[in-house]
Amino acid sequence: MIRIIKSAVCRRHAMRVLAMLVSICSIALASYGADATVQVQFNASKATPRAVESLTERGILRDYRFAWTSMAQALDLNTLDPLEGPFAGEAKRLLKEAVLAQQHSGLSQQYVNQNHRLEAVFYAPEGDVMELHDTAEYELRISDGGKIIHDEHVVMHYVVLMTPGADHWVIRQLQAVPQS
Amino acid sequence: MRRIFLICAGLCVAGFPMLAQDLRVPASVTAGDDATISTTGSGKATFYLLGPGVSRKSDVKLGEEIHLQGQELRNAGDYLALVCSDPCHSGTFYVVAAKPAKLTFLVHPSRVPVGRSDALSGVAFPFDQFHNLDLTPVTVNFQLTVGNKALFTRPVRTQNGVAWFRTASGKSAGVVQVTASVDDLTARRAVQQVASEPCNLRITGQRIPIGILVQTEPVHDCAGNVVPDGTIVTFSATEASGKSTVDAPVKQGVARAQITAKGETVISVASGVVMGNELRVGAKQ
Repeated sequence: MIRIIKSAVCRRHAMRVLAMLVSICSIALASYGADATVQVQFNASKATPRAVESLTERGILRDYRFAWTSMAQALDLNTLDPLEGPFAGEAKRLLKEAVLAQQHSGLSQQYVNQNHRLEAVFYAPEGDVMELHDTAEYELRISDGGKIIHDEHVVMHYVVLMTPGADHWVIRQLQAVPQS
Repeated sequence: MRRIFLICAGLCVAGFPMLAQDLRVPASVTAGDDATISTTGSGKATFYLLGPGVSRKSDVKLGEEIHLQGQELRNAGDYLALVCSDPCHSGTFYVVAAKPAKLTFLVHPSRVPVGRSDALSGVAFPFDQFHNLDLTPVTVNFQLTVGNKALFTRPVRTQNGVAWFRTASGKSAGVVQVTASVDDLTARRAVQQVASEPCNLRITGQRIPIGILVQTEPVHDCAGNVVPDGTIVTFSATEASGKSTVDAPVKQGVARAQITAKGETVISVASGVVMGNELRVGAKQ
């Protein structure tokens, strides 16, 4: 009789722990999902002198979103791996330098709830380079040793140069500019 | 009364850095230039600078200027300065590109047939010495030259940091120098202009013991340029027993083929979409 009561109590206790774990995991997943979400609206109608083909438009949208997701991961976790692939040239060098400097200073940056309004302004006649302008909005959180020291809603303007790789577009230049 | 005064004084002294602490960042800095950030207040604080490729943390004294070396302001973009002594105060400033020191110049294609409209194009991006894209409008002079003769000259003002041109290819085969220049900066590329499609194909032929030897006269395009070696010429031979076809590459301006035909034969020639003359060769004696 006592054994039955004990096992029922244990089962109830285990269920509670399981429920707690599930809720913690779901909260963590939800917050990660929110942080990892990068919204990009792309307007290619003003690109000159070459018109942007629909397949290219989809590729740019996919690769630009991926690049920002990767950049956010790299600067949040202070790791270089996410930068391999979506970035090349000067953009990659600067981001690598930023991550290495953050590893040294103990700082990290979080780009939360990103919204990008991306516009193609120049597409080279032979399709080998595209210039884009991005108006990006996000929450920028700066942490020092895990403690948040700065949290700000930011609206930033970027001039971006992208070039086609073997099967995807890469960011070669990502330069923030003052709002004109 | 004295107690109240002491409490107020204590609160003022304790709260002074918090109330007076502020920082003033420069409005804009040119890449590679030194800059200073001024702070107010007193006591110690932690200074942070975050920008493209930069993440700095250092101790500072409030009320003193913070010197930023040109070395850490080489990359154009936005910089966030934070001074923290509970709470943190922040300021943002931009570093803009210095004057152009390098031109990235893309020219297409590297090999182009003569006499084609809109066949050649070039795109130029001015960058400063720190590889920042220069967005201040500058005039890029594009030029195409053959030897000392200028075929094309066009000044183009950069828009959003880019200038471009498109033009027809020239009339003569050979190397064309394509240059883009901004003040004393010049970027050069070479484009090989090659003959266009063959024009006025003509063939001659004669019987030989094992068939017919047929060859073209030197193959030119319509502007008189000899077509490049390797251009394929197709010979078709029609006789009573049927039709045969031979592809032959042009070598030193001429394409040759040997056709095994015994009876009376009509031979025609074509290259690309261009047809040549027909040749009738009598039956083998």
